[in-house]
Amino acid sequence: MSRGNSSVLTPTDDALIAAIRGGDERALAHLYRLHWPMVSHFVLQNSGTEDDAQDVYQEGVMVFYEKVRDGSLELSCQIKTYLYAVCRRLWLKRLTSKSRFGVRLLDDEEHGPYLNTGAEEDVLAAEEQDRRFATMSEALNHLGEPCRSLLEGFYLLDKSMQDLTTEFGYTNADNAKNQKYKCLVRLKKLFFAHYKEEPI
Amino acid sequence: MMTEADYYALFEAYSQGELAGPARANLEARLAADPALALRYADFTEMTGTLRAYGQRQQARQQLRSIHAAMLAADAPEEIALPESKLTHTVNPMLRISRTERKLREFWSGHRATVGVAASVAVMAVFATLLGLDLWKTSHLPVPASYQALKKEVERIKKSQKAITSTLNQFGKPGVAPEVVQGKFSGTGFALTSEGYIVTSYHVIEGADSLLIEGRNHQRYHAEPVYSDVKHDLAILRITDKKFAGFGRLPYAIKSGQADLGERVFTLGYPREDVVYGEGSLSARSGFEGDTAFYQVSIPVNPGNSGGPLMDERGNLIGVVSGRQNDAQSAAFATKSSYLVHLVDSLAAAKSAATYPYHLPRFGQLAGTGRPQQLKKLQDYVFVVKVFE
Repeated sequence: MSRGNSSVLTPTDDALIAAIRGGDERALAHLYRLHWPMVSHFVLQNSGTEDDAQDVYQEGVMVFYEKVRDGSLELSCQIKTYLYAVCRRLWLKRLTSKSRFGVRLLDDEEHGPYLNTGAEEDVLAAEEQDRRFATMSEALNHLGEPCRSLLEGFYLLDKSMQDLTTEFGYTNADNAKNQKYKCLVRLKKLFFAHYKEEPI
Repeated sequence: MMTEADYYALFEAYSQGELAGPARANLEARLAADPALALRYADFTEMTGTLRAYGQRQQARQQLRSIHAAMLAADAPEEIALPESKLTHTVNPMLRISRTERKLREFWSGHRATVGVAASVAVMAVFATLLGLDLWKTSHLPVPASYQALKKEVERIKKSQKAITSTLNQFGKPGVAPEVVQGKFSGTGFALTSEGYIVTSYHVIEGADSLLIEGRNHQRYHAEPVYSDVKHDLAILRITDKKFAGFGRLPYAIKSGQADLGERVFTLGYPREDVVYGEGSLSARSGFEGDTAFYQVSIPVNPGNSGGPLMDERGNLIGVVSGRQNDAQSAAFATKSSYLVHLVDSLAAAKSAATYPYHLPRFGQLAGTGRPQQLKKLQDYVFVVKVFE
């Protein structure tokens, strides 16, 4: 499944997706390296820099990766085409926000029809998710210590309640838990206050 | 009364499946019955879900970054190796060069299309300008090649004459053919003063080694150029022979003013071995391309006519035949005599003229007589100018 020398034996798309869903880092790395030249070429060709290409590609792989992990990926084409479509959509969005003029993209012919890959909806969903995460990050920033560190430790970094108890110097785990719940209540107020008032 | 934090504790326990059977059933029943509680639970799950997903997103992002870094490191191992080689002095310029090169590459990939369009527009503009200028020039400039100076190349005639003599020799005795002295070019000239000055066109004697003046009665004189006026195509020669005793009184006067349009004019010249008379009118008071130093006359002239006198009806000299326009019907050109008079005046003022003074003929004797009588008197003063190079 996880082959070190991936250029000799190329796993199929299905095998790759299964491996990534199984949490195989090397499969993800293989996928990443496999399609990087295509996206990098596309962005560079359309007046982007190396850094732009990296941003866009990581964003695109992230969309793919999260859908794979959710199990909500419905792939009607090759991974290559899907990634191309997603990255194309992302780069187009960045370009139009930067440029005053209409943007025309130069496409590689080989990637064929990219409009019916479902990438459009996936990108929109990912943007919604991004907005949610941005709000969450904002709310966490406003929460203040030690609530922020406590919640980040528990939810973001997956530390156990026991570790957090000793780390923050609570007398026992129940105290820490109670503190966590109070923090959650405050976070909820901040989060929904920001999140709901955002225009849809 | 439970606080919100208490509810959260309950929710967490429930979602992690830690609640015991009765409490679990109790909570589920309350969630189904109480919409406010259900909303609270939904908020709780959404928030914790978002928090967890956020955490995963950050981890995944970190992972991708490390993958990218690892990929770059694998693709370009030499860039990693460079700092280890301690050669800081050579490393720095290399890094600088590679950075500019990268900038250039980025610029090129970004502006490739624009640069291409600009370059092709520039190239097209250059060629269009060149082509347009060329077209404009050719449409505005008449071709100067249509002007022909009328000196005669004798070589042609000489060849045909040799052919004739060789045919003759086949009948008679060979080798006794008379040696005819032939110049390379020939034109016409006429007497300027009775002391032996001769006028002809400059282009006739251009590049000449020696000159031979030959009259109607086959008298021959050697001559040398005294003065040349390239601009007005005039040349003054002087006969150098010791035995030369002067022409006697010249029958024509040289007009210092301008002649009028439409005057009947005629010329005598040597386009061939015999003297040829040509007649016409003065058709314009300017010459080729509007040159005001010349007249245009409607006399049919040929190579060899150059340097011939242009006379008006009363027998006054009004010009010197110079050339013709090839693409126009019988348009010949002659230098105005006023320029000749100016030239002679300035020569007379010069010091060298003291030994050989100029005495221009003041009064003509040809007025009032018929044309054949005029020509009979005139032709003694018109000569062939033969040029040897």
